[in-house]
Amino acid sequence: MTYEENETAFKARIDAGDKIETNDWMPDEYRMAVLKFIEMHANSEIMGALPEREWIPRAPSLRRKMSLTAKVQDEVGHAQLLYRVAEDLGKSRDSMFEDLINGRTKFHNVFHYPTAHWGDVAIIGWLIDGAALVTQRALLDCSYAPYTRVMKRICSEEQLHLRHGEDITLELANGTDKQRWMFQDGLNRWWEPIMHFFGPPSNPAKDVLLKWNIKSKSNEELRTEFLDHYVPRILDLGFTLPDEGLHFDEGTGHWVAGEIDWATFWEVVKGRGPSTEIRLSMRRKVWDHHRWVREALSEPAWNAA
Amino acid sequence: MFQQKGHQDPFVHVGSVTAPDAHMALAYAKECFFRRREGRDLWVVKRSHVHHLGDPSMLDQITDKSYRYPEAYRGVVGKREAAKAKVAAMTGAGPAPRSAASTAGDEYE
Repeated sequence: MTYEENETAFKARIDAGDKIETNDWMPDEYRMAVLKFIEMHANSEIMGALPEREWIPRAPSLRRKMSLTAKVQDEVGHAQLLYRVAEDLGKSRDSMFEDLINGRTKFHNVFHYPTAHWGDVAIIGWLIDGAALVTQRALLDCSYAPYTRVMKRICSEEQLHLRHGEDITLELANGTDKQRWMFQDGLNRWWEPIMHFFGPPSNPAKDVLLKWNIKSKSNEELRTEFLDHYVPRILDLGFTLPDEGLHFDEGTGHWVAGEIDWATFWEVVKGRGPSTEIRLSMRRKVWDHHRWVREALSEPAWNAA
Repeated sequence: MFQQKGHQDPFVHVGSVTAPDAHMALAYAKECFFRRREGRDLWVVKRSHVHHLGDPSMLDQITDKSYRYPEAYRGVVGKREAAKAKVAAMTGAGPAPRSAASTAGDEYE
């Protein structure tokens, strides 16, 4: 069969809902797209551990310190699972790390922002994990089977993180005026980045991820799903959202966000976010500092010992 | 030998066969375990290539790690209702409007 014939047969498999395994023949466009997508997800898990990590030493109780540490450990664990899946698509873990720390590959916009106080930990744990879970659940149906198998595990752990995040949120919501202020202040700063998290409205005709059923839902659909779930829950706790255009559309029965400014989003994902440099330099430092561990555990060194 | 049911499932150990090589082991495995197409794929692995943990105490958790389990957050629903009631009493406002899908409630209730 020619390349074109193979590609046509492959597209027919995808359209029939068939799942692709690592050793199956796949068009270059598919391999590149699925690799880039999983690599970006892996990068986001390992970079996403950093903002919360900053709060481990400052957690308000020993219990919170332990549970936050466990959560950060889970996120790094997710990165391990995802880098493993990505490696099988033909890019080495070392080059994925080199690309990440040198700013050549991307990670989610929300991890480019600073954290100000414990209220931010509540926001990250409940709303950012909540946003991530909305997108990740949609990926359980991804056409690349090895990815869906690790997503099953990731989603079940994220479910726990959501409870952990809501528990912190409710402690603040049920607390003093200062505690309630902390959550509200976090919400005011994080709401726009969370809206950006789902990405700009996409053109389904041009979206290569939708074409190959790597993603099955559009950015807009996912954002609406998030709004529908979380907006009423936030409002019922007596907090307000910093979006004057936000409203419930009685006609469609869905929550609708106001105008979203995408200029900031593009700046941030291109690596010019407020904390991009500080987070990447942290990752770079760890990468250099732990070089000896990687070398000692590499196969030739291990077998020589 | 290991079998996988659906594309989302892990490979699960279902039994073993005696065979002179991997090729024959697969043939036997297929006849012994897959006569009714019980899954979508099969693996055979030489027994000497399987390493196991052995000492079960390796899995013990020395300190309390209950925060790693969902049961640790059972109180969330009660705390949520308390917070909502407090706000409703203060503002007199009813619950915010919800979409049809969202009124189904929270997934972990």
